[in-house]
Amino acid sequence: MRLSSILTCMAGIGHKRSWRWRCPTLAALALLLACSGGCGGQAEPAGVVSVWAHAGRAVERNTLEQQVAEYNARSRTDRVKLTFIPEGSYNGQVQAAALAGDLPDVLEFDGPYLYTYVWQGRLRPLDALLPETLRDGLLPSIIAQGTYRGHLYSVGTFDSGLGLWGDRRALEQAGVRIPKGPADAWTSSEFDNVLAALAARDPDGAVLDLKLNYPDEWFTYAFSPLIESAGGDLIDRNAYRTAEGVLNGPAAVRAMRRIQGWFRSGYVDPNLDDAAFVQRRVALAWGGHWNYPRYHKALGNDLVLLPLPRFGPRMVTGEGSWSWGITRRCRRPEAAARFLRYLLQPDQVLAISEANGGVPATRAAIARSPLYGPHSPLRLFAEQLREGYAVPRPRTPAYPTISAAFAQAFRAVRNGVAPKRALDRAVQMIDRDIRDNHGYPDVAVTGGR
Amino acid sequence: MNAATRQRRNGKPPVPGGRWHTRAFSYLFVFASAALFVAPILFMLVGSLKPDARVLAEAGGWHAFWPGSGASGQNYTDVFHRVPFARYLVNSLWINGLIVALGLPVNAFAGYALARLRWRGRELALAAVLAILVIPFEAIAVPLFYELTALGMRDSYTVQVIPFIANPLSIYLFYSFFLGLPRELEEAARVDGAGVLRTFLTIVVPNAKAAFASVTIVTFLFYWGMYLWPLLVTGGPSVRPLPLGIATFYTLPPLQWGDILAFGMMMVAPVLVIFVIFQRWFVRGVAATGLKG
Amino acid sequence: MGRTQRGGALMRESRAAWLFCTPAALGLLIFIVVPFVLALAMSFTSLRLGSPLPLEWVGLRQYGRIFSDPAFLQALVNNLIFALTVVPVQTALALGLALLLNQRLRAMAVFRTLFFMPVVFPLSLVAVVWVLIYAPGPNGMFNAALSALTFGAWQARDFLHDAHLALPAIMLTSIWQGAGFQMVVLLAGLQAIPGELYEAARVDGAGPWQRFWHVTLPQLRNPLVFVVIVTSILSFRVFDQVRIMTHGGPHDASTTVIYEAVQAAFDRAQVARGAAMSVVFFLVVVLITLVQRRLLRQEREVA
Repeated sequence: MRLSSILTCMAGIGHKRSWRWRCPTLAALALLLACSGGCGGQAEPAGVVSVWAHAGRAVERNTLEQQVAEYNARSRTDRVKLTFIPEGSYNGQVQAAALAGDLPDVLEFDGPYLYTYVWQGRLRPLDALLPETLRDGLLPSIIAQGTYRGHLYSVGTFDSGLGLWGDRRALEQAGVRIPKGPADAWTSSEFDNVLAALAARDPDGAVLDLKLNYPDEWFTYAFSPLIESAGGDLIDRNAYRTAEGVLNGPAAVRAMRRIQGWFRSGYVDPNLDDAAFVQRRVALAWGGHWNYPRYHKALGNDLVLLPLPRFGPRMVTGEGSWSWGITRRCRRPEAAARFLRYLLQPDQVLAISEANGGVPATRAAIARSPLYGPHSPLRLFAEQLREGYAVPRPRTPAYPTISAAFAQAFRAVRNGVAPKRALDRAVQMIDRDIRDNHGYPDVAVTGGR
Repeated sequence: MNAATRQRRNGKPPVPGGRWHTRAFSYLFVFASAALFVAPILFMLVGSLKPDARVLAEAGGWHAFWPGSGASGQNYTDVFHRVPFARYLVNSLWINGLIVALGLPVNAFAGYALARLRWRGRELALAAVLAILVIPFEAIAVPLFYELTALGMRDSYTVQVIPFIANPLSIYLFYSFFLGLPRELEEAARVDGAGVLRTFLTIVVPNAKAAFASVTIVTFLFYWGMYLWPLLVTGGPSVRPLPLGIATFYTLPPLQWGDILAFGMMMVAPVLVIFVIFQRWFVRGVAATGLKG
Repeated sequence: MGRTQRGGALMRESRAAWLFCTPAALGLLIFIVVPFVLALAMSFTSLRLGSPLPLEWVGLRQYGRIFSDPAFLQALVNNLIFALTVVPVQTALALGLALLLNQRLRAMAVFRTLFFMPVVFPLSLVAVVWVLIYAPGPNGMFNAALSALTFGAWQARDFLHDAHLALPAIMLTSIWQGAGFQMVVLLAGLQAIPGELYEAARVDGAGPWQRFWHVTLPQLRNPLVFVVIVTSILSFRVFDQVRIMTHGGPHDASTTVIYEAVQAAFDRAQVARGAAMSVVFFLVVVLITLVQRRLLRQEREVA
């Protein structure tokens, strides 16, 4: 039923009174149906595998585009169509697309968002689609990140590294001790002294870049390890039912108060142009593997990778990153899995790792990586993963809410709100969400279909 | 109080040769105000020509308004390499064009029916239009997003166009205008036996050019800057319009201000140029909405 | 014309009217009325995007929640502050500029163009550029300008992250972008005032201020009312700058109702909550508009 029929319908008005009401309604329905079929969820032509990835740094995007182009050139049966989605509204986009029936075949998502997608029934298990040999070659952290309720739902081609980038020259000039490994990390009071020493020699006193310009997920990833190091956590990981006493307990409050102290003392650069570290305005930059290419280019041999400061007996850092899953909507999961297997080949894993500095996801690739050998610049990241300093973000469908709540609390603390108050509000938000969702029962999670 | 000042205050133009220092003061004021209004635009223009690092560094001094030695069009080419700007522009033009083009007949017909035709329910319909006029789009953005997404309409031109075709403000503008048209023309046509539709198309519409121009301009200006709706309903860059384009460009690493300002210049320059050329129509159109409303 | 002919003509007009109105009516119905009803319905449920749990009827729970949520309450307050500040300031500014331009000084058309230029800027572009203008530190353009104006007394601030300055900073961007539009309307209104009225007032011995108060303002009534109502409605719709510049600002200092609604429904997938906020927002705007219309009763052309 298209435009012509609508017009005929309208032209018939006046001949029969009853048509006056039926026609507009029919016309409306026709319009909606016509549009929902052709204009909404685009049905992919056979042979096309649609893929969504987040719009990250240029070098990551370019590498991925290159990989897709190579795959398309090589494959005789499949063609991959890649779309980049802005990182800031990524989860919102996925949820909206799911509602519209518009999800792609292969979906990239930030690691801890996996659990909510699985809970919503969006993803296919990968156990049957990826050979066991391939899975055995993956890093344990990658498998752990991608597993939920006993099935593997996602694989990443790299894992993340979180640390403190330092300007060796500035650090030596200030006479501070440079930690040699994760066991050697600065304590929180030592870190305060380091900041003070650096600030004394800095024209504007801002010596620390916390990447305040990054999207919200960064704050949970980058700063919840400090809470965990102090003895708190984002949520009680025994039952995943509440964050009370854990996120707003004395340990967490203490940690946030320390962080607030950095802002109060004026140590933190707002980083409006994302260039505080490369322009050497600051001597220390909270950051991760993805900063390596640019920082290495700017600072050369002056670049040094340090562990985060420890707020308790043991240093804690973050892990987990973007990974790939196959959606239930995908009508040709074998084709999608073929693409994933391609991405996990050692050459491809190495290509991504070189582009973004991440820890290669397969042991085969790590062995060949120039960045992750025993004397290579990024070995700290691999060491953190190996020795258990890296703690994953909570594995629960409540994670998006936890992340939003923590990011909000961090912003509040940054702006001078009392840490206890900010964290209390975060806990309230998290607990309420878990209650509203009845504790996230296994409604749609099924395996092996 | 002399003649010139008196004349100045009464809405009539004073004869030149009025008190010079009151005029000088007026000039000064106008100049200063114009400078304040234009400063950000000039800053944008100049910044788009500078290398990225200097944009922020020089923002605090007079150099913010002077490109200096390193000026080049590099930022402009960078924009095209980093994002599909041309696509965004085409999308904006297409979406906006459709909204305006489809909206004109739909709203003009309704406005005429309300203004000139006698039918049962006319008073009710008019009241309904005025009532709906009050509803800001943002109040229904969320439920509309849900309604259309649940119907599968997403990430397309259609979903960015059809919600905005029927527009209560346009209907009201047409209604006001048609009310003011002299009835003799239409009555003459009716006596000659022309039907309502024929009268409308052949007599009323050609005499309503001003209304069509006003509505076109106001509708265009209004929807050109749409950001909330595309944010909710589009995903990748394929149907993304310019206002969302610059917002996503701003969040795309690395953050290079020179490129962002270049994007902004390219985004606004065509409309600015059109405005300057057709400003009399713009002003007339805008003023008409205010005087009629 | 005979009675039957008149009756026939009436029926033809009636039919034509329905034909003419149908597309617009459909559009308004499907895309404005239905969503509003939907919002009302959704706001009484637990609807979320993508949840596998069954939909529940929760009565007034969403409303109870949003009215005890400090962020939403602050958003309401912020919108109110925004309207109460921006409307008079922007209108006064537009009126002042219109009065200035109404004198036939040379090159007034040029100045009129310059004042109108920001109006063609999409608000998202305004937001991005002003992020740069509001850059913290003495290097930031706005900080530097204020410092120059106060001869160095101004201390550089981070406007967009300052709890007291974030909302005013956004207000300023709205005023900058919108004043030109209102100025053009008021200028046209000023130019439509017949000179004889001023002559008559002068003859009666009225001074300049009295002429302004008793001739200019009353004659400007319609355009002024229009400007005030439009600016009020627009000041409730603030979203773009909040989303791009401050994300709701330091601890809700610059959040607005629509920002909260979109964040709830789109970012957090809590559609029912977003719907409840939309309903409240709609009621507030309608209330304010009705009150305004009553207070500033316009002279309307009678059909």
